[in-house]
Amino acid sequence: MSIALEIQRVCSDAVRQHGAGRIGSVRVAIGELAAVEPELLRFAWEAVVAGGPHAGSSLEVVWCPANQRCSRCGEVKDRATGSWLRICPDCGLPLDVTGGDELDVLDVTFTPDAEAQSDDAAGASADDAAGDR
Amino acid sequence: MSRVVTVRRRALEASEERARGLRERFAQSGTLVVNIISSPGSGKTSLLEATVTRLAAGHRCAVIEGDVATERDADRIRALGVPAHQVLTGGACHLDARQIETALGAARLLPADFLFIENVGNLICPTAYDLGEDFKVAVLSVTEGDDKPFKYPAIFARAAVTVISKIDLLPHVPFDLAVVDERLRSLNPSATILRSSATTGEGIDAWCELLTARLTEKRRSCVST
Repeated sequence: MSIALEIQRVCSDAVRQHGAGRIGSVRVAIGELAAVEPELLRFAWEAVVAGGPHAGSSLEVVWCPANQRCSRCGEVKDRATGSWLRICPDCGLPLDVTGGDELDVLDVTFTPDAEAQSDDAAGASADDAAGDR
Repeated sequence: MSRVVTVRRRALEASEERARGLRERFAQSGTLVVNIISSPGSGKTSLLEATVTRLAAGHRCAVIEGDVATERDADRIRALGVPAHQVLTGGACHLDARQIETALGAARLLPADFLFIENVGNLICPTAYDLGEDFKVAVLSVTEGDDKPFKYPAIFARAAVTVISKIDLLPHVPFDLAVVDERLRSLNPSATILRSSATTGEGIDAWCELLTARLTEKRRSCVST
């Protein structure tokens, strides 16, 4: 729930920088090692935005698996999702594990308020890559 | 017409920024900070009681306790003459960096050689939150079952130290130490695995030696940088 609140804060900041508007959907990257369950996060998002200006908006999860690589045997294949294996099943060497710890807000889709005045929040910095969809 | 804004920011950036600030503060005060995580009832507070008692000669300890309700745990630590602050989360299942900042403001915990943060009893959510600690410690009691490391891998993969607690109860429960060692190593080959009993005092010396060695290391590296 607190992660959903933080995501809402980051998204509201980003939308405010482009005027104001109502969030339709957000895309969030979740790594498989981030200890976040996508279905629960979607549910928490619904609860967090309920009753507010972004009520009814949706949260889309982009799932990011971790890469596990053995210096001798290469990529570990047929790995169960969420597997935390740190030792190569074939040769026993420690694996090099990269990625999978993502917990990032990727982008926000919003409908600008027709009568919104721009009240730019000072300080925050989102990449300036707004475009029509 | 709807618009898309690219954000690409860490969802927990505000919390991570606070954790960085805390880490700097702890470096300045030369305090080794340990974030202790386990399921409820695995013996975190008992381990802490034994630890601060053992370290009391020659070291200043302080404790932040996280619980959903009651001052019970902080009272247990204070009874030993060690400053403790109780964070009541009111339902939240983990501590975050903001609560640590508040605790440091509310109670006179620093300067200290060791600050122990006893997280809310939970093996899942506390894993994701950086509190500015030097390392995380997982506590696993033998009564919980030896399959815990595979069922809740995140904490055991992230904890620099795992303490197997309540080992005095080993004769009474089906818990295979060798199997757990192997499972923990497969999740985290570099982790230190210790065994302890707060009741008999077994393993407390080794745990305290690890803590004082890490403190010495930290102070050496803080001075050299």
